[in-house]
Amino acid sequence: MRLRSLVEAWNQFFFEPQSPLPVCLFRILYGCAVMGTLILLRPEWLTWYGTHAWVSLATMQKVAPGLRLNLFALIPQNDSWIEGLFWVFLGSAVFLTIGLLTRLSSISVFLCLTSIHQRDLYITHSGDTFLRVAGFFLMFAPAGVALSMDRLLRIWRGKEDAPVQPKSPWAQRMIQFEVALMYFTSFLWKSMGAPWVNGTALYYVLHLDEIRRFPIPQWIEQPLMLKLGSWLTLALEFSLGVLIWFKELRYPLLLCGLLFHLCLEYSLNIPMFQWDVLSAYVLFVDPVDINRVLNWMNGRLPAPLRRIAEIPA
Amino acid sequence: MAPNTQTRIKRIAISAFLLFHIVAITCWCLPFSSPLIAMFDNVIRPYFFWSGLFQSWDTFAPNPKLVNSYIEAIVIYKNGHTRNWVFPRMEKLSLTDRYWEERYRKFVENLREDANVALWPDAGRRIARLNNNNDISNPPEIVVLIRHWSEMVPYRSAPWHAQIFYEYNVKPEDLR
Repeated sequence: MRLRSLVEAWNQFFFEPQSPLPVCLFRILYGCAVMGTLILLRPEWLTWYGTHAWVSLATMQKVAPGLRLNLFALIPQNDSWIEGLFWVFLGSAVFLTIGLLTRLSSISVFLCLTSIHQRDLYITHSGDTFLRVAGFFLMFAPAGVALSMDRLLRIWRGKEDAPVQPKSPWAQRMIQFEVALMYFTSFLWKSMGAPWVNGTALYYVLHLDEIRRFPIPQWIEQPLMLKLGSWLTLALEFSLGVLIWFKELRYPLLLCGLLFHLCLEYSLNIPMFQWDVLSAYVLFVDPVDINRVLNWMNGRLPAPLRRIAEIPA
Repeated sequence: MAPNTQTRIKRIAISAFLLFHIVAITCWCLPFSSPLIAMFDNVIRPYFFWSGLFQSWDTFAPNPKLVNSYIEAIVIYKNGHTRNWVFPRMEKLSLTDRYWEERYRKFVENLREDANVALWPDAGRRIARLNNNNDISNPPEIVVLIRHWSEMVPYRSAPWHAQIFYEYNVKPEDLR
């Protein structure tokens, strides 16, 4: 292999223009996931982040010192300001979802999301972490060029008429990279633990009282099934981390991943986690296939809305 | 500057940004220890903590949690009376409530760890406030935190253990 071909492959992967539809669709799903997280937190905004929260800002700054993007450290410490910050956050998430002032909304969502995590690092799960790191790269993506109010407004003002132009997908690639790395490192961590290797891990996961959700059929609780389940988890996480990059295997793997996360959603009570991760699956779907689905849906939309998604065939 | 040169410079800058983040995030996440990775992690740590790019993907790994647990508090009032207070236990809640209250599960999972001793005074304060009857003559004086746990033994039930792990002396300003 020559260095030149490596550079060409790099440029092709990150910079060769492609339809921005996957990342625009991801923006919508991501926005919904952020809104879902915020709405679930709504009754407890002040319980976790208020002036008399379970962990005070001073304690948090002591256990997690250093310079951090944390708006809570900048606003006056009273509950009205803190609630205000959450309403700004929710408003930004709504704007991001509908694609209004998309770039600004994505920056605002990332800042607010990072701030609530930095404000209390002890109540976040991996789904929250994924939203945070994906949100970082989403700020750089052309996420508002299609399926957005921004585009609709540009069309109405006569500033845009042509179909959506292809864009460099480098920000989308970084979110895809995060998804793959998440699965691959999960696989590596698990493969270092004896319960995953000997196949007993799933027993412990499914018998954690605090995390159980709906009842699981008896036949799944048989030792052989639990062993198979533990090993399948390892195999699937490895595949979604590594083999997902091979086009021929992508759709079958995405389908397996979807079933895997739906099973977890049924059996484990980790609100939003599965949906946070699944929202990013759309980034692996071929834009042509997304276009096909959107065209089918377009026929059922009013004419002005049809043009929001218009892309080259 | 010609548009081509401008595009080229932009592409080089973005490539440097991408390469740095790919290497940095990979080194940060991989569960391998090597002096080189450790050195690199130390260099990028301030940036990762600042930007929110810190991440770990070790849910249920390397070992899943092997104990069921919960935390209970005993609030002792000035007149000697006591009140038991338990953090919301997911298994005792309805399916809907546990979806809304799940953050408590995560918090308790962390609070019970000795490594998180720094969180205990705040928790003591908050429990005192939650159990304050607004009776000036009989305020909460002491909050005792007790952890309960039961190690999981496959296909068998196991006994529960309890241990007092923290005692907080409530100050008058905590209740204001």
